[in-house]
Order: sequence, then C-alpha cells, then structure tokens
Amino acid sequence: MDPRQFEHIVVKDSDIHSIVMSYLLHNCFGETADSLASTTGIKQPVIDRDNLQRRKQIMHFVLEKKALKAVELTEEFGQELLEKNKDLQFDLLCLHFVELVCDRKCKEALEFAKTSLAPFGEVQKYVGKLEDVMALLAYEDPEKSPMFYLLSSEYRQQVADNLNRTILEHTNHPSYTPMERLLQQVTVARQYLTEENGKDAFPPFSLKDYVKG
Amino acid sequence: MGVVEDTEPPLKRVKRDETNGFSSASGNSSVRGSSSSSVTNSLGDLMARPLTTSQGDDETKTIGSKGVIKKSEFVRLITRTLYSLGYGKTGAMLEEESGIPLHHSFVETFLQQVKEGKWDESVVTLRRIGMLDEKDVKAASFLLLEQKFLELLRFDKVGDALATLRNEIEPLRINTKRVHELASSLIILPSTSGSGKENVSSRSKVLEELQNLLPASVVIPEKRLESLVENSLHIQRDACVFHNTLDSDLSLYSDHQCGKHQIPSQTVQILESHTDEVWFLQFSHNGRYLASSSKDQTAIIWEINADGHMSLKHKLVGHQKPVTAVLWSPDDRQVLTCGAEEDIRRWDVDSGECVHTYEKCGIGPISCGWYADGKGIIAGMTDRSICMWDLDGREMECWKGQRTQKVSDIAMTDDGKWLVSVCKDSVISLFDREASFERLIEEEDTITSFSLSNDNKYLLVNLINQEIRLWSIEGDPKIVTRYKGHKRSRFLIRSCFGGYKQGFIASGSEDSQVYIWHRSTGKLIVELPGHAGAVNCVSWSPTNLHMMASASDDGTIRIWGLDRFKPHKQEKQVQGSSSNGVLHQCNGN
Repeated sequence: MDPRQFEHIVVKDSDIHSIVMSYLLHNCFGETADSLASTTGIKQPVIDRDNLQRRKQIMHFVLEKKALKAVELTEEFGQELLEKNKDLQFDLLCLHFVELVCDRKCKEALEFAKTSLAPFGEVQKYVGKLEDVMALLAYEDPEKSPMFYLLSSEYRQQVADNLNRTILEHTNHPSYTPMERLLQQVTVARQYLTEENGKDAFPPFSLKDYVKG
Repeated sequence: MGVVEDTEPPLKRVKRDETNGFSSASGNSSVRGSSSSSVTNSLGDLMARPLTTSQGDDETKTIGSKGVIKKSEFVRLITRTLYSLGYGKTGAMLEEESGIPLHHSFVETFLQQVKEGKWDESVVTLRRIGMLDEKDVKAASFLLLEQKFLELLRFDKVGDALATLRNEIEPLRINTKRVHELASSLIILPSTSGSGKENVSSRSKVLEELQNLLPASVVIPEKRLESLVENSLHIQRDACVFHNTLDSDLSLYSDHQCGKHQIPSQTVQILESHTDEVWFLQFSHNGRYLASSSKDQTAIIWEINADGHMSLKHKLVGHQKPVTAVLWSPDDRQVLTCGAEEDIRRWDVDSGECVHTYEKCGIGPISCGWYADGKGIIAGMTDRSICMWDLDGREMECWKGQRTQKVSDIAMTDDGKWLVSVCKDSVISLFDREASFERLIEEEDTITSFSLSNDNKYLLVNLINQEIRLWSIEGDPKIVTRYKGHKRSRFLIRSCFGGYKQGFIASGSEDSQVYIWHRSTGKLIVELPGHAGAVNCVSWSPTNLHMMASASDDGTIRIWGLDRFKPHKQEKQVQGSSSNGVLHQCNGN
C-alpha cells in the first residue's frame, strides 16, 4: 500500500464518535459527553459516572491549590493507590508545601516538610526535587526565585494529568485515550516516512497545520 | 592620611598599614567606610588604646641594614607569631610595649566577636573595618551568617534559622547553591546528612576561613613568619653550590653553606682489571653494582660491598671488538654490551653468562639501549638506521634512512614515552612514541654524546666545542645552563648527573681530570686529578650521594668518595634522591 493513498481508507463515523467520547470521559467532561451521546446516539462506554465525577473533583482541587483535599479524595479509591505511586504522592505533597509557602505560612510549611517530605529525602531520586522545593523557603518572594516554575499553573496541570491517569489505571480503565495514541502514531509514522523518502515527500506531521486545512 | 583605600586594591600593604594602627594618632577617623555616623563611635573605640608620643615616627621607621623592613610590619609579624605559638601574654605585652597593635581595633573587636559567636555584631563591625571591597564584605558576611544559621539550627531554633536565611542570607544574592543547601538542611537532620556539610564547623575554622578571605594587611595570615623563613632557607639551599646534604641539616643560626668536603673528591679505590682503555661505565639503578666496558673487548661487572669497597664479580668475555658501552636493564638483572660495529650481547648479571646476541647482516651497532620496560633492545647502526628487537632477537621495527650519526647515542626514557637519538650532526631527535611526533633540539655544534636526567625532564648534551649544555625537554626544548672548563678535542667524552637531587654535573676530560659543576649555577666546583690518561666517562651512584666512578684511557677505573680523614659514618642507602629519611651525614664541623 502506498502511503500517499491514505485518502482511500474508509473511516466509520461511529469510530470517530467513540474516539471523541473516550477523550471527553477521560478528561471528565461529563455534560459534554452526555450531549454527544444524545446527539449521535452512540452508547456511552462503561466508565461509570461516579468515577468521572470524583476524578473531576480531584483534578479541580489540584488546580485550585488544594492538594491535600485532592489527596484525601484520592485515598477514597484505595490507600494503596498513592502508596504504589510514590512519585505521584511526592509531587502532590510538594504541591501542598508550595501552597503553604505561597500563602507565606512558612512555619507551617517547615513543619509539614519535616514530617511529610523529609522521609522522601532518603531516597536518592527525590533528593534533587526536594532540594529545589525546600529552597523556596529562602526567598521572600518565591515568584522571584529560580524555582518559580513550581508555582505555575502549567506545573499543577501536569501533576493533575498524572493523577488522573493513575486513578484511571487503578480503577481498571485505560490511562491513555485513543486520541492521544493516534496522534502519537501519526507523528512517528510521518517521521519514519520522512527519513525513508526525504522531507518533500512527507512533511512532518503538524496538527496545527492539519486543522487549518 | 585621607581616604585612600576605596580605589586601591586591598593588598597594597604600604598604605594599609599606615592607616591601620595610626590613623588614630592623626585623629582622622573618617578613614573607614563612608558613613559619617561612624565617626563618633570610632573615636570612642580608638581612644581606648594606649598611644605613645613617638607615633608619628614609627610609620616610616625601618629596621635592618638595608632599610627594606618596615618596623611596624616587623613587630606585628612577631606579635602574630607569638599569639599563634600560644604565648598570648607575651604577645599582648609586646603590643603594649611597642605601642604597635597587632590589629586595628575594629579588627580586634571583629575577631573577638567571631570567637564569641556574636554574629550580628560581627557583621556590623565588618562593615566598619572599611578597607575591604564590597565583594569581600559580602563573602565574609555570608560566612558569618551561615555560621549563625548553622548554630541556630544546632540548638533547634528552626524558626530563627529560617528567618536568618530569608532576611539576612538570601538578600546577599551570592552563593545561591549554598543558600538552597541551607534551606534543605532545615529538615534534614545533621546526623543523617550524607555530606556532613550541614554540620557546624568550629568557630576557629570560621576564623581561619575569614583570614583567608580578608586582605593580608587587615589580618596577617596565620603562618606568615614561618613561611618567610622557609623561603629564605630554600633560597640558601639552592644557592649552596656544594649542597650535597639532606634538608634535616639546615639550621637557622647561620646561612647554609655546605663545604667542598661533601663532594666526592678523594680516590678511595683504583680498579685495574681492564687491560686497555676503559671507555664506558655505569652504576646499576639500585647502586649495588658498577659495570664497565673497555677497548680490551671485555666488560666487567663490579659488586659494591657493605663497606663501599668494589670487587670484581664477573668479566664478560666474548666480544671480538672493543666494547663501547655496557647498559643496565631497568631491573638491574641484565646488561647489554655493544661491540663496536660488531654485535650487541645481553648478559645475565648473576651468572655472567651471555644470554643472547643481536646482530644484523652486513651492519653493526654503534650504540644501544634498553626499552623502558626491559622487554626490547634499541640500537643505532652503522648504516645510520635504528633497529628495535624484542628480547628473543625478533626485529620489531627498523627505521631506515639517516636516523643516526656515525658516532651517536640512543636512549629511551624510562617512562617509555620518548626515544632520544642524535639524528644529525648537531640535532637531537626527541621522538614521542605515543603521539608519533618528533621534536628536534638544534645545537650550534656537533654533538658527541648525551645523558638523560632521572626525571626525564632534562638532557645533558656534550658538544665538540668543549661545552656541555643542559636542555629542558619538558614542553618546548630550551637551554637551561652551560658548563665549561673541561678539555675535549679528539675523543668521545661523557658527562652525567649526580648528587643530591641530581644537583651536580660531572664529566671526564682529555686532561685526565674529572670535572664537577654545580648544576643550577653552572659554576665549576672541583677538578680532580689522578688519572694518567683522558677520562672518558663518569658515573655517579644513584643511591650513594658520595660515590662516583671514572673510566680512563690509562686502563683504570677510579672510585671517588669523601675525604677519608673525616669519620666516615656508616652511610645507609637512600632511595633515589628524594627522601629525607635515613641518610646520616658528617657535617664537617
């Protein structure tokens, strides 16, 4: 099959609907999912509503700088969830610490660090991050410190995404959406073809350009 | 007087010193810093110190015959030394009697505050000292506040420590990495920390670090006087022309001068076993044997007994031509002999037997040498090529073409790195065996022989014009010294390094004498008569500083040692020339 003949492949509408649906459910867009279901008549797959709602709330707390609340709700899925995902647990606890520092509650932050973060310091791979996080304490204006990225919303989003995936996995759902996988595969396939045939034959895949049409 | 320190670098001791103790006398207290609010305070502090009326003179007074030593600096140095030796009372008394305080009073206060751990006050005082540039002040303040932080942490005053970090240390805006480390140390307990950096150093350590930071005129470095004296001793030792003794014999009471009697200048033994001109000799690396080779077609291995006496161990017979050289293997268990234009033979020292013969059809060797690892032989041949064999006689390499001269030397440095040979009349080639790269030493005249120093950094070159030249061959070759005085017109004369740290150059001469020069100054120090013919070769024992051997056309070998009249204490052997350990010396007093 010649890769340039991709337009000849038939794609079913129902498949596309499934892809979009799974994306919506993954990212907790409950109402939108309902709307899509009623418009297209597609059946919603077996991601229970309860699971979605809870995840939505947890993500919200992370983004709204309420990391401890998020942890509390996460633990309702099972104590082992965070125990088995130490990296994630560490990131969440660090977020809480950062929240305290931003609120200028330094003494509290220090206490919290001593009890909850210090144990992580004994494992080599957490040491670097721990040092970065602790260093925030030294600055009157954490925003002006070299580690200001820890305070950013992009960072919180990153942690939230990670948490989302972990919960989905734990509750026996796929942790990656087909949408993501498809895009990843297209990019790789394009790269491969470019290497084989040169840039002009198959330019690298760019979603932006593609969407523009 | 006046404000001088702001523009000048802190190490300009001249001006510093004058303002240091004496600005008080002139009442000019605006010298430190720029804030005028310090004026009244400083005046108050300074008045406390006793001042003598002759203050004004002392600033410019010098002592010593040459007028280069400033009295105030000299006294302060002595005071400093007294304190560091532990003689506090005497030090204080000296300060009072001389009226020259060791430190400017602010400095005194500062040091006291550091000792007592009064960190906040010390930071303030630091600023008042004034003769420091901003960078130094910041660095020193950092040290002080860091110590404050660590001490607070030690006593579990975590909140205070945190406040110090945030409000005092971080705003200095230096040493960010350390600031971050300190932040981490707030939760990591000292006992579990891996690097131990969070441990509190003692205050004296902080003092030490501060002293290194602050300019010398503000706080005199800890061992300054000792360092000055050591420098002086080194210079004396280097200037001592006959220096052939160990460092342990240096004394402060008088300038060091070895007498000539430390140089081996007496014939202590004459070896007459050769029956014709002796052309070459060499001590073994371990100094226990001497090998000599002669026109009589033999080589002899001599053994050195415990009392220094030489006895014949083996006569190596077999060559049909005069033996031009006899060379020790790196492990001293074998020797190579070179028969002139004939062949090269390898002999076992213990048995005296010839183990192998190396020859090549149609051409003969002029010179030979060992591989640095003792596993191969190199030779310069009559057809001007260089051949390399392994011990079993298999030819490993052969460099053809005009690689050597008719009469030439060849050698490999004992680290295996360089192959040295005389490739043209007046050119020596230094071939880097690893990099396959050649460096040339171009001389002004024909080269007759050369000799490598122990450390492979120097090359002694004999020229046809009766000059011996010392070249440094580390990096770009450079001439270091020249030695003259001996005679050479027709024959090949060899020279060598010897003595304490190879500090002497010895050479034979056609006037039958042995010549010895001081290596670094080039000064001729002794001429030793005794032989009845040209002295062809000299070798100085690598382990016995006071033993030397010479080979002559008169068929004899002379062993030279110290003057027998002085009690010749049992001289234990020294490892190479670098240890200051076991060797006893007769000081000739």
